[in-house]
Amino acid sequence: MPRSPQPFEKHAMADPDTLTTTRQETATTLPWNVVVHDDPVNLTEYVTWVFMKVFGYGEKKAAALMMQVHRAGRSIVWTGEREKAEFYAQQLQAHQLRTSLEKVS
Amino acid sequence: MRIQQTLEGGLRIDVMDGGDWNVLGGIPHDALSADEPLAERLGALINHEALAEDWQEFIVPDLDEAFRSDVAHVAAAVAEAHSQAGGGEGPLWITRDDAMKWYSALNQARLAIEDRHRFGPEEDFDPARLTAESGAALLRSMLYLNLQKFLLAVVMR
Repeated sequence: MPRSPQPFEKHAMADPDTLTTTRQETATTLPWNVVVHDDPVNLTEYVTWVFMKVFGYGEKKAAALMMQVHRAGRSIVWTGEREKAEFYAQQLQAHQLRTSLEKVS
Repeated sequence: MRIQQTLEGGLRIDVMDGGDWNVLGGIPHDALSADEPLAERLGALINHEALAEDWQEFIVPDLDEAFRSDVAHVAAAVAEAHSQAGGGEGPLWITRDDAMKWYSALNQARLAIEDRHRFGPEEDFDPARLTAESGAALLRSMLYLNLQKFLLAVVMR
């Protein structure tokens, strides 16, 4: 589990290096969103199936996310650390789902 | 063409004549007709500066190879079955292990057709706009779609 970033204001006056280090840590620990976008060919049943297969979601949750993609044009299907987000995005693209990654700000 | 489930959980397609073989041969042909490879199109969605370069360098080529391999697999399976049937009546088998490759190739074929002809959602579809070429493409796309539905419902579940 990533360590929570510490507030850097306290260190800033005492040691500029500490400020730099803390900023970097903050950047790397921000979570990433895995976003699936609607497209003209993928079947709704297939999208649900892929969410179940890739994330291990139950059918109800997978179908709800699929409906959000279908109706809203996109859905955040997973949020978490970068490495895992990249892995999921790769898996979803391998199943031909239009997938992007967004850093949570 | 008749499609039925096998005891092993795959599909058997009973091809009736040369017309059916032409339709099946159209799958790889359509899939490879896309103006922009699917892997590149998907790769363009990963555009965050921290990720884009590595994604283009490492992931896109892998995806491209996998998608092309799926299409090649289907092309080879159709060619083999066509040859064994002497171009006439005969079976084409899709095993459970093959199902994802077939689904992938069919998806690529439908995407390429949709890109070229822009049929759009069913509710907005206007048959009066169809030309001979786009009408034939629509029929192929509908057949591919039904084959995908079979694969999903019978083999991949």
